[in-house]
Amino acid sequence: MKKTILIAALSAMLFAFTTVKNDADGDRLTGIWEPSNGKVKVKIDKIGDKYYGKIVWLKEPIDPKTGSPKVDKNNPDENLRNTPLKGYRILKDFTYSGDDEWSEGTIYDPENGSTYSCTIKMSDENTLDIRGYIGISALGRTDVWKRLKLPSKKK
Amino acid sequence: MKYLKVSCLFAFVLSLPLSTIIAQTDSTQVEEEEDYSLYDNLEFADESAKRFASVKVNGKSPDKLISVGYDFQGGYDIDAGAFGMFERSNQQLNATHGFRLGANIPIISKNNIIIQAGLDFWNSQYDYQSPDNLTHPLHKTLSENGLNTIDLSVTAYKPLNETTFLLGRVASGMNGDYALGDFQPLNYNRYSVALLWGKKPTDSKQWAVGVSQTYRAGELNYLPIFMYNWTSSNRKWGIESLLPARGDVRYNFSPRSMLFVGFDLEGTSFRIGNDSELSEPYNDLEIRKSELRFRFKYERQLIGFIWMSAKLGYRTNYSFNVDRLEGGQEFFRGFFGDQPYVMENSLTNPLFFNFSINLVSP
Repeated sequence: MKKTILIAALSAMLFAFTTVKNDADGDRLTGIWEPSNGKVKVKIDKIGDKYYGKIVWLKEPIDPKTGSPKVDKNNPDENLRNTPLKGYRILKDFTYSGDDEWSEGTIYDPENGSTYSCTIKMSDENTLDIRGYIGISALGRTDVWKRLKLPSKKK
Repeated sequence: MKYLKVSCLFAFVLSLPLSTIIAQTDSTQVEEEEDYSLYDNLEFADESAKRFASVKVNGKSPDKLISVGYDFQGGYDIDAGAFGMFERSNQQLNATHGFRLGANIPIISKNNIIIQAGLDFWNSQYDYQSPDNLTHPLHKTLSENGLNTIDLSVTAYKPLNETTFLLGRVASGMNGDYALGDFQPLNYNRYSVALLWGKKPTDSKQWAVGVSQTYRAGELNYLPIFMYNWTSSNRKWGIESLLPARGDVRYNFSPRSMLFVGFDLEGTSFRIGNDSELSEPYNDLEIRKSELRFRFKYERQLIGFIWMSAKLGYRTNYSFNVDRLEGGQEFFRGFFGDQPYVMENSLTNPLFFNFSINLVSP
């Protein structure tokens, strides 16, 4: 009986360790990232067991037409067209699927109000290959995002 | 027994996914007001990382990944020049029409390089008013075979830094009156090359200058190219041009609906008379076809990533003359050469329309 209990406990610990490691691997996605166009900075957080990215900085935060902070004016849903772009979640519902890849998510392009299927591949700790696509991955475009950090102190 | 229960509970708690525990914690948390000024002064975590000029320009029409279209020119005349034993012959056409299919798929898409592969197929059927009374070989082959183009291309965009980029394109075209499945020899393929150096000073402006080997004017030529893409600050007006191939003034009703006024210069060299047993002067002929199309164009999103494009305009013939190229061997005449054509033809000019359904790029 003691042997059975010991095996059960060890198995549970191993499973728990694997889960914790998987969470830790997946959490490498969190942080501040810059898309290739440099127009925004996106902060990726984990909420529940999924990853979300929101705009936290805009290169041109003011709409020259209105003189006010930019809003999501191209959203196909009219009710969302007054939502400020700063703070807007453009990456949604990503889950870590192993092998440095996050999938099952979507990416939203405020430039044209389109939402694309999306996978994220971490090519190194500071680089993401973000592939937005239509239906199948071959019909898409990959954008490379770079990790940002607070400026190092000058000596 | 008590020891067993405690051990199992311990094992159960350990086996719970960490995220589940965190999720329970998160659901009780109130999201705090974010201080966005924290993100004003950040730098790349990888100090060797660089920023590059993006290929996209604010407000520009979306790139087409896949296109299925139909082109129709109304009635006009072809006056075919005297040739060998055949006298000059003027014939009327009801229409010229055909399908235009295209695919442009990204192969490599990185910040520091983008490479796309393209495949285009254009078909032109010549609908003569009296197809049974044609004797001139130019009219006969156009009526019976039409003209086909299969164009394979590779386009590369290489940003050098945040504002400077190179753009290159190489294309090989199989153009002629061949039947699909009975293609002409590859030595009759015609090659186009373009290389540009450009600047993108803002997200709404991009320009480039370069040189090209091109068949836009119907025959081999070496021309300067000027690319200019610009969108006004209110995102309503813009210019999209790659001279001399095309130029447009654009009005954006919205990011998903836009009207263009401009032109396309379409042209290439079509091999005709695909029977290799024909003897001189009836073999190795090529139509140096080039036309300038002034038109309105309207593009809009239909649903999701499916867009439509409709063009309506006036087609003006620039060249429809015929050269004889022995074994497909090309020569350079340019705008100032005095080599004679073996057949000098003239066309009247009709209205045209073009409609396509397109899958656009993210």
